[in-house]
This record gives sequence, structure tokens and C-alpha cells, in this order.
Amino acid sequence: MDEKLRDSVLFSILAVIAGLLLSGAMLLFIDKNPIEVYRILFSSLFRDKYTFFDIFVKATPLIFTALAFTFTYKASLFNIGAQGQFYIGSVVAVAASLFLQQRLPGLFVLAIVFVLVLAAGGIWGSWIGFVKARYQANEFLTSMMSTYVALNFMNYLLRTILKETKGEYPQTNPLDKTVWLPKLVPGTRLHWGFVIALLTAILIWVVLYRTPFGFRIRAVGLNQRASEMSGINAKKLYVLAFFISGALAAAAGLTEVNGMQHMLIQGFNPTIGSEGLGIAILANANPIAIIFASALFGALRVGGLVASQVAGIPPSFIELMQGLVMIFVILSNFCCGELDRKREIRKLRKAAS
Amino acid sequence: MTAFIELKNITKYFSHVVANQDVSFSIERGEVLALLGENGAGKSTVMKILYGLYRADAGEIFQNGKAAAIHSPRDAMNLGITMIQQHFSLVQAHSVTENIILGNVHGAIDREAADREVAALAAEHGFDIDPRARVGDLAVGVQQKVEILKAIYQKTRLLIMDEPTAVLTPQESDQLMKFVKNFTSQGNSVVFITHKLQEVMAVADRIIVMRNGMVSGNLRKADTDARELSRLMIGRELTNAAQVKTERAGGEVRLALDRVSVSDHGAVPSLADVSFEIHAGEVFGIAGVSGNGQQELCEVICGALTPVSGSIRLDGRAIETLNIHERVKRGIGYVPSNRHRDGLVMNMTMAENMLLKTSFDPRWLKNGFIDRKRLDAVSEKAIADYRIKASGPAAILRTLSGGNQQKVIVAREVDIGEKLIIFDQPTRGLDLGAIDNVHKIIRAERAKGKAILLVSTELTEILGLSDRYTVLYKGRLQGIYDRSALTVEEIGLLMAGYQLKEGGAHG
Repeated sequence: MDEKLRDSVLFSILAVIAGLLLSGAMLLFIDKNPIEVYRILFSSLFRDKYTFFDIFVKATPLIFTALAFTFTYKASLFNIGAQGQFYIGSVVAVAASLFLQQRLPGLFVLAIVFVLVLAAGGIWGSWIGFVKARYQANEFLTSMMSTYVALNFMNYLLRTILKETKGEYPQTNPLDKTVWLPKLVPGTRLHWGFVIALLTAILIWVVLYRTPFGFRIRAVGLNQRASEMSGINAKKLYVLAFFISGALAAAAGLTEVNGMQHMLIQGFNPTIGSEGLGIAILANANPIAIIFASALFGALRVGGLVASQVAGIPPSFIELMQGLVMIFVILSNFCCGELDRKREIRKLRKAAS
Repeated sequence: MTAFIELKNITKYFSHVVANQDVSFSIERGEVLALLGENGAGKSTVMKILYGLYRADAGEIFQNGKAAAIHSPRDAMNLGITMIQQHFSLVQAHSVTENIILGNVHGAIDREAADREVAALAAEHGFDIDPRARVGDLAVGVQQKVEILKAIYQKTRLLIMDEPTAVLTPQESDQLMKFVKNFTSQGNSVVFITHKLQEVMAVADRIIVMRNGMVSGNLRKADTDARELSRLMIGRELTNAAQVKTERAGGEVRLALDRVSVSDHGAVPSLADVSFEIHAGEVFGIAGVSGNGQQELCEVICGALTPVSGSIRLDGRAIETLNIHERVKRGIGYVPSNRHRDGLVMNMTMAENMLLKTSFDPRWLKNGFIDRKRLDAVSEKAIADYRIKASGPAAILRTLSGGNQQKVIVAREVDIGEKLIIFDQPTRGLDLGAIDNVHKIIRAERAKGKAILLVSTELTEILGLSDRYTVLYKGRLQGIYDRSALTVEEIGLLMAGYQLKEGGAHG
């Protein structure tokens, strides 16, 4: 087991380096010095407190959407609709905050908003689970399509009842400072949402691996028929897994609206769902590894942004880096599996001779 | 004269086991070679290597003295080698002819000519098959004949059959043996993969015995006997599996089925009017060729299927409307025949598999979390009690051997089944040591006063363990008999659908 863990850590690091090397090579085509670009990228991460903590600001919603994908994935279900569930969460967060901020004290509002966001995202998600359980609708398709419904629902509201009082842009009024998620580190953008994300990741791990409910989710994911033959109601679990998944993705809406933007803008964070999916795969659907994978993506994003401003490289380079790193990490997972197989064979050879 | 096929030092590793080690033997023209060994001895693996399904990690294959490179079944077929897998590779929705000519047709197909050709081929070998029949509509025994015809059509000179009689009635097996003799008399070779000694003594010319991935014997049939073969196969003398006669069970009625019918897809009932009783301390056997309603019977009792009519009572209380979970609580254990599909989660740990059926039970909980200490203790006790070879409760089930995986299910279900335990083919695919073990457990649980339903396609198992038994044919019971009431031949007839009263006439 130790050899396995060592291999997977070592290979993941090598894979990240390989991904960065190959994306670095791409810079040569546009006559940029990759060493110089990477020097800027990495030194910028540590040049001041603000930039450094921004890594975790970026990582926060990604942890939630990655956990959302992971939770259904453990039940062998694919929730491709985290983006939509995130939008639903954002809409509810901003609408409830705007409505309650004058009426109740800030922290109280945040607590209510949190519950409402989870409920709304959960209900939005569980509907996907329900049609899967009831009518065998392919959850891959329904969840993906639900994103477009959510997106257009949000845009519709932003142009109508949620539109700012000035009536100029499709965006809401800014939230009162009282309903912002409190800052975690003064002088930075890091807010308590990050702590909530960390705790949630640990909570999800505990639920999956330490409770009978999580056990049943995983059992259904690994062998649905044997689980059903054992008296586990897989259909009920579909609905519950999608409820939790939707609630997790919606929680990202809360941290982004109340923690970061403090308003809702049209076309808001359009890649958060797909990045979360990538991170979940990168982390091998392990809730704890998701924290690190999200931080890595956050760092590439923050550093890449600075590098693109300072060194004049195109911003799409950030996504290129993320993509290549992801491919190499997935390849390295296969390498680890192969190494493990070889090790077993060596042991057998030794035992046989 | 050089051998038709020669295998030299074949070695194959799977990730967790040595499947074959230095396996060398030859296959001569015109002989029936039996590849004998317990399940997991590496018989199928070495033949799959010869057929190009697996690649050997070391070793060579020679045909007529020349090195042969076999990388795929296509290569093997070109060399005249065909293998009939345990699970047939037929297209269910296609006709017999279409299946037989599959892979050997180019351009436009002249269906009529092909049908005629197949009909002629079938007649030549004494097979009664309609070339236009849809394969999915055919009985398993007939499907096997289609596989054989397919091989002959491809002009095969070596036919490898993996456990061919497992799906056949005794009468069908006899027919198959006749074909094998006939086929080899024309200078062709047949390899029979099997673990049944009787079959080997009946049909083989030469016998290769395998144990733990190695060849442990290479003998002519004339020079050996069943005792020697069993010793080579299991490494010790076979203690006769004959019955230990025990007192007739005298307990009260535990399980009672009254005119239970199950229909799967509406029209054809998979169980029709099944009625029987099992007493406490009694083993009730269900004999029959697999696929005649055995699984439906087990599932309707354990709660996975709902009967369309009839009643099921456990200790006098109706249970037919309860779900699986509630029946588990009532004390019904079920060891399914397809354990990988129905009973185990292969990528979970041994301990988690122990928890699978009782995850709702509060006894596993401590402060709302799974009480891992308790679960590990129970699992370790099972490992010790059942001598499960596993590194511990945290061993991933996939890494255990088939026999040890079965022990995990048996340990779990014996624990759950306080009243009734259903064993569906509990020894299928197990080696002799493990089979013996399962039999001991069944006897021990019977002695504790549990009711036991034993489904098996092995007659010796039914006759050796049951107090009473029945034969299931097309979802109907063919009468209920005391253990020593019938001869093996009579049971064979019942299994094939004949009624005894009418003197062997079709019922």
C-alpha cells in the first residue's frame, strides 16, 4: 500500500512537470522563452500575499464542483450538469441575499441563504436522478441539458426581475457588505468560503467511506446488481446522490456570489463545471486529492494570468497548461496501475522460484 | 512423426497469480486429449493462449514442428485450431447459417446455397438443426452443436472445448461423446477441458493433468485410473464424496411454497405452480439443467422477484410481499450462483463485502459511523472460521481466489440465514478442497436445525447432501423424491423433461 501511495504521488508530480514542459515547448512557436515565462509564472505566485492567497480563492468553487462530480461518480452516475447547478445556486444566493439583506442581520442571512442554495441545487439535481430512476433517462444527457436550462433561466432573470436598478447591464445590484462571506486573511480576497470548501471535502470523504449511506452509494456504483440483490434500493440512491451532487455544485454559487463577485453578472464563470469535472478525474475521484488538484489549477490560473500580462503570452495558454497537465496525470494513473501489476508479478516469480 | 501441436514451456502471469508455469505438452493427430484439473489450475488459460486470446509471457508453440506465431483467434483458425468457449460466441439474433458462415463470407451472400451447405454439413455429422432457426430460440445443447458446426465449417483440425458438458443433460453429453469419437477417427484432434473424472475416463485417449498452473501428469488412459488422476489433480487421495447418512429431519415446516408462479416477460412463466415444503434441519435439493427456473426460484424466495401468484411462508408467516431487506432480517440467507454479479462487489474490501447485506443494521453503527473495529473483528472471525486465504479484512476481494471469494459469501449468508439458507450452485467453479468445505458447512448448518435449499446441476451433490429433492424442468417440479428413490438414469430423464410414469414417454 505504501509503495502504491509513493508511486502515485511521485508520478503525479512527474506528470505535472511533463505537462508544463510540453506546454512550455509550445511557447517556442511564438518566440517566447519558456524558462522566462515559467519564472514569471511561479515567482508571481509568491510575489505578494494577495496573489498567493488568490490561488485558494480560485480553488474554492472548483473544490465544490469537483466534489459534485465525484459524489455521483461514486454511484457510477455522471453529473455533467455542475455548471447549471452552480448557476441555480448563484441565482438563489443573489436573490435571497438581496431580499433578506435589509431585513435580517448579515450572518443570519448567510445561514439562511446557505440552506436555500443547498436545497435549490439539490432539488435541481435530484430531478435528474429521479428521471434516471423512474424512466431510465440517460443522466449524462439530462444533466448536460439541464445546464442550458439553468443558464437561460439565469439570463432571463438577469434581464428582468433581478436586473440592476440602473437598468443598464444584465447584472444584479451589488450585495451589501453585511451579507458578504467574511474575509479569512485581511488584505486579500480569500474568504471563509475556502474553509467551508475544505470542510466539505473532508465531510464528503467521511460520508463516502465511513457511513453506511456512503458505503451503499459506492456499492451501487461498483456493482449495482449485487447491491440490489442485497436489498439496497439503487433508485432511491440515484435521487439522493444527485441531490447531494446538485447541492455541492450550488454551494460554489454561494461562495462565488457572496464571497467573490458580490453580485451576479451574465456569463459568470462559464467553465467552472467542466474544470471541476477535470479536477475530479485528475484527483481520481478522491475528495481529499481534490483539494490539492484544485489548488494546482488555481495556481496555474493565477500564475498564468500574471504571466500573460507580464510576458505577453496569450491567455489561452493557461487552459493549454491545464489540459496537458490533466492528460499526463491521467496517463500516470495508468502507469501506476501497470507498475503495481509488474510488482505483483515479480513477487509471484520470487515466490515461485 | 511430429505432433500436430506442441506447447513448450508456456508461462503466463496474471496480475495476482501465476496462471501457467512451464507448461509443455503435445497434441497428436486423431486423439482426444483431456485437460484435467481443478478450477483455477490453468487449463483454460493455456488453451486460450493456444487460441490466441491471451499472449504467453514466455514459451513457444509449434505446429508440425514449425514455430507458430498465434496472436489472435484469426491466426489460430488459419492454423486449423478452434476453441468453443464455455460461454458461446454466437450472435443470438442471427440464424444458424448466418452464425456459421460469419467471418468467412465475402461479397454477396447466396443464402439458399449457404443454408443447403449448412444443412448438408449438419446431416453429415448427425446433428438435427434447422439452418434458418434463430440461434436465440435454440436450447443451449443445440447452440453448442451450432458452435461445433461452425468449427467444422472452418475446416478445423483441432477442436478445443471448454467444459462442454456443463450445460448438457446426460443424454446430450452421450451424443457429444459420440461426435467426438467420430470426429477424431477422421484424423482430427479434440481437447476436452474438464474437471469431471468420469467424463475423462469415458472419452479421452490421453490425459494431461494440471495443478496450480503446472502439468502434474501426462498419461495414457489405458495406463491409469480415476484414483491416480484424482491424486494428481488435487495432490491427495480423494475421499469419497458419498453421503454420510444422517437421521431424517423431523423438524417443523420452515419454508412453504404454495403454487408459486413467476413470469418474467409476461407470456412464458419461468416458474409454474411450484409447491414444496422444507422442514427445519432438512436439506431440500433442486436438480435440473441450469436455466430451467432455478434462479427464479431462488430469487422469488429471497425477495428479488415477486410471484404473480401463490404464497411463500416462513415459519407460517407470509413473506411474499416483503422486500429483500425485510427477508434478510427474517433470517433468509442466499448464496447466488453468479456470485460475481449478484453477491459480491469485487473492488471493495473483504470486510465491506461482509457488510453488504446488513448495512442497514444498527449493530454496525457507532455514533452514526460504521463501527470499523466491530466490522473488522467479525471479518477476522470469518477469515479464521472459514479458513479464508486473505491478507485481512482490508484485502480487496478481487485479489482473492474464486474459492475464497465463495467462502466470503458463504460466511456472510450463513450468518444472515438463521432460518433458511439458499445455496444456488454453491460449488460451481470451486476446486475439490473448497467443494468439500462447502459441503461440510451445509451439513453443519443442517445439523443446527436450519432449513436449506440446495440448487445444483451436479447430481452427486444433490444425492450426497439432500434429504429430499425435486427436479426442475421448464419451471415445473418433476415430482418430489426421497434421496434414494431414483436411479441416476431416472433423474437424467426427469432433467430432460420426461415423465417417469409413462415409461419414459415425453410428458
